[in-house]
This record gives sequence, C-alpha cells and structure tokens, in this order.
Amino acid sequence: MAKREPSINTENFTAVQIMELDACSRCGECVDWCPTYDASGKDPGLAPRDKILRWKDYINKAYGLRATLFGPKEIPEEEIEQFKDDVYGCTTCGICATVCESAINTVELWESMRANLVKRGNGPYGKQGMFLKLISEYKNPYMADNKDRINWFPEDIKVEDKAEILYFGGCTAELKQRKLALATGRLLNKLDIKFTMLGEDEICCGSALIRTGQYYVNDAAKVNAQANIDNIKAKGAKIVLYACAGCFRASLVDWPRLTGKELPFKVMHITQYLQDLIEKDEIKWEKSIDKKVTYHDPCHLGRHVGVFEPPRAVLESIPGIEFIEMERTENDQRCCGAGGGVKAGMPDLALSVASTRVQEDALATEADILSSACPFCKRNLSDGRDAVGAKDLEVEDVVVLAAEAMGIDLSDAPE
Amino acid sequence: MAMEYFSGVSDALRLTFVQVMIMANLSIGIFIIGMYINIRKWGMGSTGYGDSPAKNLLAFPKMLAYQMSEHAHVHNQSVISTLILDVVLQRRILNRSPLRWFMHFTIFVGWMTLFVLSLAMFLVEMIHLVGAQVGLHGLPEFMNPAVFRELLAVPNDIFSYILLIGIIIAIYRRLFVTKVREATIAYDSILLIGLTIITISGFIADGIRTGRFWNLSFLGLDIPIEYAPPAALFHVVISLLFCIAYIPFSKYIHMIAIPLALLANKGGE
Repeated sequence: MAKREPSINTENFTAVQIMELDACSRCGECVDWCPTYDASGKDPGLAPRDKILRWKDYINKAYGLRATLFGPKEIPEEEIEQFKDDVYGCTTCGICATVCESAINTVELWESMRANLVKRGNGPYGKQGMFLKLISEYKNPYMADNKDRINWFPEDIKVEDKAEILYFGGCTAELKQRKLALATGRLLNKLDIKFTMLGEDEICCGSALIRTGQYYVNDAAKVNAQANIDNIKAKGAKIVLYACAGCFRASLVDWPRLTGKELPFKVMHITQYLQDLIEKDEIKWEKSIDKKVTYHDPCHLGRHVGVFEPPRAVLESIPGIEFIEMERTENDQRCCGAGGGVKAGMPDLALSVASTRVQEDALATEADILSSACPFCKRNLSDGRDAVGAKDLEVEDVVVLAAEAMGIDLSDAPE
Repeated sequence: MAMEYFSGVSDALRLTFVQVMIMANLSIGIFIIGMYINIRKWGMGSTGYGDSPAKNLLAFPKMLAYQMSEHAHVHNQSVISTLILDVVLQRRILNRSPLRWFMHFTIFVGWMTLFVLSLAMFLVEMIHLVGAQVGLHGLPEFMNPAVFRELLAVPNDIFSYILLIGIIIAIYRRLFVTKVREATIAYDSILLIGLTIITISGFIADGIRTGRFWNLSFLGLDIPIEYAPPAALFHVVISLLFCIAYIPFSKYIHMIAIPLALLANKGGE
C-alpha cells in the first residue's frame, strides 16, 4: 500500500528554519510584545509562540518519529486554513525576533510559512491576492498607469537622464503620497545633487509580494528585482536613495537574495544620506519648525536593517524642533500596523494597531508632530490618528519636515 | 580500599554496574537515533533561501555553515561572541527578564556542571576498574575513586543546590504566575517534572548514603543505607533516560536547538 503523502511539506523553508521550530523555549516574550495579538484583543491564534508550536506540530506529523515509523498523520484542512488566517494576521514587524530569547528569525519564518501556504493553495489572504496580478499588469499595486510615476513632477524639479545618484521613489510616494516624492526631489535639487529616477521603468520593489509569500509565483519578485537592478545600472547610478522604508529593505535584503548576486550599487535611505550631509555641514536650514516632534521607527528601516539614528539626527538638527522620544522606540518600537500585507488584507486589524500606537505612545509625548520615514507608516498612523480623534496631531515624514526647514515650498503637492 | 558505592559502580553490586552500562549505552543509542530523525527532519528544508527542499542529511549543516558565514545586515557578531555572550551567559534572556535569566542560568550551570562532574567520576571509576584488570598501578592518589568522590563532594553539593534553586523558581512560576500557568502545556511540564525527579532523586540517593538530611529523616522515614545502591541506580537510570535518551523527542531538544539558532542568526537581531 502506498504511503500517505504528508498534509504539508517543507517547500520554502530552509533546513535552519525547520530546526528553529525546535528552538522555541515557549518563554512567551513574543506574545507579550506582538502588536497584532494585542490589537486583536489577544486572539490566541495570533500569538507568535503558538504559530511556531502549531507549525512544528505539522512538521512532526509529516516528518517526525511517528511519521517515520507509521507514515504521516493527516492534518484537517480546516485546521490548515485557520492557521493560514492566523499567519497572515502579522505585520512582519519583527518585534518577536527582537525579543526572542532563542534568536529565532521569526520574520523569515512567517514569510516562509506564507510562501508555503501560497504554494499549497491556501494563501494569500483576502485582497492580498490581487498584488501579483496588479504588479504584473501595472508594475505597481495601485492599478495606476506606470507613466504617472513622475510625469506629474512640476517643471522646477530637475531629474537628470543619467546620474551617479538615483532616487528610487517607490509606488506609494510616486502614485499616492506625492508630497513625499515632491519633497525629496526638490530637496535634492536644492542641495545641488544631480539625481536621476527610473520613471515609468520603475517596477514595484516586490516588498508586497515577498512579505505576503507570493514572491516565487512566476518568479515575479525576482524578475522585477532584476529589471530594477538592470534599469538602475543603465542610469549609471552608484548610489540609490530611498525615502520608503519598505523599498529600502527590499532592495538591501531581498533583491540580493532573490537574484543571488550582490547589488552593483550602494543603497541608502535618504535620512542616512542627509545625516552625512549634516555632519559635513552642507545643509543650510532656512526655517525654524517650532514644534515638539516625536519619531516612529518604521519596522523595515529600524528593526529589519538597523537604521535608527539617521532620522533622529535629521530631526534633531532642524532648528526649532523639540525632539521627544516615545516610550517604545528603536528595537522596542511598536509597529504602525500596516506592514506584512495587513493593511490590504485585514484593514481593521491594521487600524487597531495604529490606534494603539497613536493613543498609547505618540499622544503620551504631547508631541505636535508624529514623524516617520516611511509613506506606509504615515498612511496608517494618520488613519490611527483619525480613529482616536487626535485631530491636533500632525503626521508627517522626516523628509518633508527637512524640506520645509530648508525653505522648500510644498504647497503645490498633489493630494 | 573497598568501594562500597560510588556513581552506580560497585564491587558488591556487579549487576548494578552492568545494568547502568547497558542503560547508558541504550540511552546513547536512543539519543543517536532521535537526533538522526531530527537532523533528517531539519534536512527536509533547503540549503538556500527560495531553493527547493534538499531532503538530505547534510542540508542542515550546510545551511548552518552558510548562515554563520553570511553577512548580517543588523550586526555581524562573531562566533566567539555568540558562544560566550549568548550561548553561555544567555544575554538574550537577561535582556528580557533578570529573574527568568537567574532561574535558567542556575538550572543551566547546575545541570551542566553536575553532568561534567558525574562524567569525571565515571571516568575515574572506569580507569580504576580497567586498571585493576590490566595491572595498571601508580595512578595519582586523587585518581582513587574513594578519594576522587570526596574531592567532588563539595562541588557536587554546591551545584546541586544551585540547580535546585533554579528548579524551585521554575516550579513557582509554573504554578503561581497566572500568565505562565495558563500558557503551560504538557510539552513544558514534562521537562520540568523530569528535571525535578532527577534532582530530588539525586539528593535522596546521596542523603541515604551519607545519612544526612535528604535521607528523609525529617519526615520520620530515615531510609537505611542498604537502600543507597538502588536509590542511586534509580537516579542514574532516570537521569540517563531523561538527560540523554529523551532529548531528541522532547522540549529537552532546546538544549541543542537554541545554541544552534543563536549561532545561525549570529546571536539574533
């Protein structure tokens, strides 16, 4: 009689990741810190510890001692479907990895679980399923004409055809939150930094596909990453700047991994670039921003790649700003709730996380401005601000604040 | 000097010695089979991100070596730093909870030291027994099992109590800290129950042999010394089963998997 096939397999898991399932000591730190578990009203299914326990149980049912002796044990489909729902209720913020006493790389683990479940036919979740189709068809997830990425730039913004510096705008800043792209362009112009952009040749960085486990389908994320790399090279860029934390993380970590090659250029978040200029005294501030400002670390910029200090250095150098930290910052920061596809798949959960961040952390500082360095964080924190009725709290990007302090007029920014 | 009883090896109880040796070899055999199953299970994964599952025994060591040599974006901690700060000193636990670190560290230090001391005692006994058979003479005085046992008496006592302190804290947390109690499942309990039985049985076996407090005289039992060998045998057998044979099949696997995860992820984020 043929041996029964396991209900799940190990597709998209590395050997170390399967070992990591056995490394969980069930201390519960991840449960104490998880923002979606907290915002869901402590739904036990969302607790990171229990997701590890369940997947470990599935792996043991498929490949453990009993399975070795008597064949794999079947896992009911409803159980796997429920697990899928739970594993997508995560912003991949990485706080669980930060606090994990066993140093389990949980973000990679969740993404592997998601990719495995997509391949199995269970994932992704809700509207996230549209990402692949939209990005394949439009090269961005917003169904926008890709020509519209920068053709709206006012004439005063000078974008070179080729330059050593390239600003990778990202879908959200170029197509939705254009004030950020406008501020970045004008800021670079004002600093006399010749820069180029990809324009309609820019393709979604792949973050949405990677975080939701859809990166391998048709090799879409890999193909897009390679196309972006080739296009950036063709522009002669040696340094690529990002004002979007998600694009920055994808380029720095995911592109080399997807393509199997080191990047042929240096990638920097624009706050890192500005910090260098500030240290060289090459930025002249023209305007004082006399407000109390706090800063929210985007997960993809902070915990994921360790850029904590540059945005703070920019804010602290702006005249007039009284910089104040929230209680939970840097490695211990609380996620805004938008990442990991949660904003698209589970908007209520995303809003609940954002509301908590605003209510419990930002408002406690009595800041006038809640700043961040990621358009996605800005969007969700703004929604959270509206949800808690904190209408006096301004949510703004660090780059926009820097541009304003340099005397750059952004009043013509598109809505 | 006659050897009345040491760590399961006794002139008077050859049967006990044979039993312990069989048990030890059986435990090691079960451990090896269990680890083979685990490494084969881990090897069902790939040797690179996005690669197809390797499905072979070498996949895990290959991926581990790759990750340990890979450039990390957040920090690039050296293997030595990871081993000292994270594996031995358990810095990540200390960063989260000093009490939990104290609990875990006392268990870790007590457990590992007693294991090493027991191993040393066993080796001295083996050298002594084999030496007697092959006519090996002139060993240093401290290599005499009776002398060596006395040498180990104080450190054995110290580290047993260190271990006991950790276990008491662990039991207290599991029983009286609501959040911990509610999250406890059999997977956690078995580990702690096993550890407690091994530790208490060790104290009792030693107490019967020495006639001190742990012979349960405080309960009015005052177990006679004749029960010392079987009590020690029980302690040794259950220790071998829990400490070696059961590791691959239980939460004890964390003793192997956590250091590996720490090394693979360069001490973590």
